[in-house]
Amino acid sequence: MSKDIALKANRINKFFYEPEEFQALKDVSFEVKKGEFLSLTGKSGSGKSTLLYILSTMDTDYDGELIINGEKLTGKSLNDLAEFRNSHIGFVFQFHYLLPEFSVLDNIMLPALKLKKKSSEEIEADAYQNLKLLGLPEQALKSASKLSGGQQQRVAIARALINSPSIIMGDEPTGNLDSKNTAIVFDIFRELARERGQTIITVTHDEDFARNSDRVIELSDGMVISGN
Amino acid sequence: MLSTNYKIAFVHLTSKVKQTIVAVLGVTFGISMYVFMNSFMGGVNDTQTTLAFTALAHIRIYNDGPADNTNLVKKVYGANTVANISNARIIQYTEGIKNTAEILDLVRKQPEVIGVAPQVNINVFFRNGGNKVNGTLSGVDVANENKLFGISTYMVSGSWDQLQYRPDGIIVGYDLAKDLSINVDDNINVLTPDAVSHNYKVIGIFQTNVKNTDKTKAYLNINSARQLMARNEDYVTDLQVNINNFEKTAPVVARLAPVIPYKVESWQMSNQQLEAGSQLRDIIANAVSFTILLVAGFGIYNILNMTINEKIREIAILKAMGFSSRDVTTIFLIQALTIGFIGGAIGLLFGFTVSDIVAHIPFKIGGLNYLPMGFHSRDYILGFLFGLVTTFVAGYLPARKASKIDPVEIIRG
Repeated sequence: MSKDIALKANRINKFFYEPEEFQALKDVSFEVKKGEFLSLTGKSGSGKSTLLYILSTMDTDYDGELIINGEKLTGKSLNDLAEFRNSHIGFVFQFHYLLPEFSVLDNIMLPALKLKKKSSEEIEADAYQNLKLLGLPEQALKSASKLSGGQQQRVAIARALINSPSIIMGDEPTGNLDSKNTAIVFDIFRELARERGQTIITVTHDEDFARNSDRVIELSDGMVISGN
Repeated sequence: MLSTNYKIAFVHLTSKVKQTIVAVLGVTFGISMYVFMNSFMGGVNDTQTTLAFTALAHIRIYNDGPADNTNLVKKVYGANTVANISNARIIQYTEGIKNTAEILDLVRKQPEVIGVAPQVNINVFFRNGGNKVNGTLSGVDVANENKLFGISTYMVSGSWDQLQYRPDGIIVGYDLAKDLSINVDDNINVLTPDAVSHNYKVIGIFQTNVKNTDKTKAYLNINSARQLMARNEDYVTDLQVNINNFEKTAPVVARLAPVIPYKVESWQMSNQQLEAGSQLRDIIANAVSFTILLVAGFGIYNILNMTINEKIREIAILKAMGFSSRDVTTIFLIQALTIGFIGGAIGLLFGFTVSDIVAHIPFKIGGLNYLPMGFHSRDYILGFLFGLVTTFVAGYLPARKASKIDPVEIIRG
């Protein structure tokens, strides 16, 4: 595996057993290069979200092999995977999932405080920098629940970036945003991929969003039908 | 890492202050009740012990009389022989303890022994004119008797030490004096089982508040008692022994019994009802306080469970961001233990306050002035530990549940 491959999925199969046996993913294999901006698309039920959660290491109940940054993650313990996610993967979900009782700044700092690679002063400086990047420096000390939807989503992105993860994963990150905010989020992703070399993998319904990314993988009935 | 977990736990606790206060109050109530109940029961037990030991020594050595001799024939001829004995008489047996000095020496050598008082006890009739009262006359070693039983503190008139110098003096119980209508400086007549009658002068009156003692007992100098019984200088009927820890009589008895040719009896053997009473009170106190702690534990369990259900999405996102199951368990255990710690500390204070107030409630029966209350650090330490253990268990179950949350299931909906 060459050094510029960020993520490699090898023959991934996934079954659901409830309410009845159903194969959600069939022999899905692909590679993602470092710094690539990848969109996963497909109709609902095509398995794209299922695939994303397997790639994210949160879902461990699958057959096949997952390798991120040259490290084989299949078969690792849940606590090891949590540690891996903490330092290597950033998440942006359809809902922001900020902790409402914490300030914006605290929300952004949490993953870094967990990682403990830097002092809290450095982390705070990083958090301010991320907020500036996302255009929200003046909201830092507000409670997270006081922001608008678009602002909250941008805070969630700032949080995803705090540990400078090599891969950022998004599950319909713009699904709840209007077109103006969607454009802002897209530009941020674009910039991260191009200027920082971070790999972006997002599941999206938004055709414009997908078309403008570097590469689109389309799934249908659990199989990759294009873009591989 | 711990500090971040603390921070999250702290935010959870402070964002629902009312809930937290309710949980803390539950623990406070449980622990204060534990402390109060145990202090109260301890106080009652202490009082009981003090009362009991005004008349009772920890170990008593005495001659318990000859063996059962109702059928002497059986001893020689065995069970198959028919014997017809009527009006059997015991001709003579040794009364009291002989070679006292030797035994006293032996007893005093035991490291646990803190005091020995020899006594000559006689069952007598106390008489004043036509009034007759059956009772016990105790001939005592004045100084040692006081060392063991603290009789001088129970004197209502006269002085205990006078007995030392007055071979004609007698100190009688308060109710006995009343029944005989006598006062200090009056004369009292004593009639022994051997039909010896002797007059003594009442030089003091005592009141222990143990009715049985006050009604039937009188004290004499031990030498006067020997004289009354026409016995020698060595004669005693009882040796009363006190040791440093009244609970630990068994080893001393086990050591003395084989080498002393008389009955060696601990207070537990002769007064099992006292021991039973004190243990039963302990059981009641523990049962009540455990029940309360259990209820408090359920309260904490419920509140944490509710918190977890409310915050299930946040827990999922924490796990997605890389918080491990152990971190999640830690976060909720910190909450439970914080509640336990604060509730426990307040509970100890509250328990002490309630105990102190109750200890000032008047209760004037049997020589008591206030309700009895024991202030033992053991009750407070145990109460606090039990509180922490309860909250730990009550917190651990929901914490484990939270740690097992599958983030995929929650985030995907």
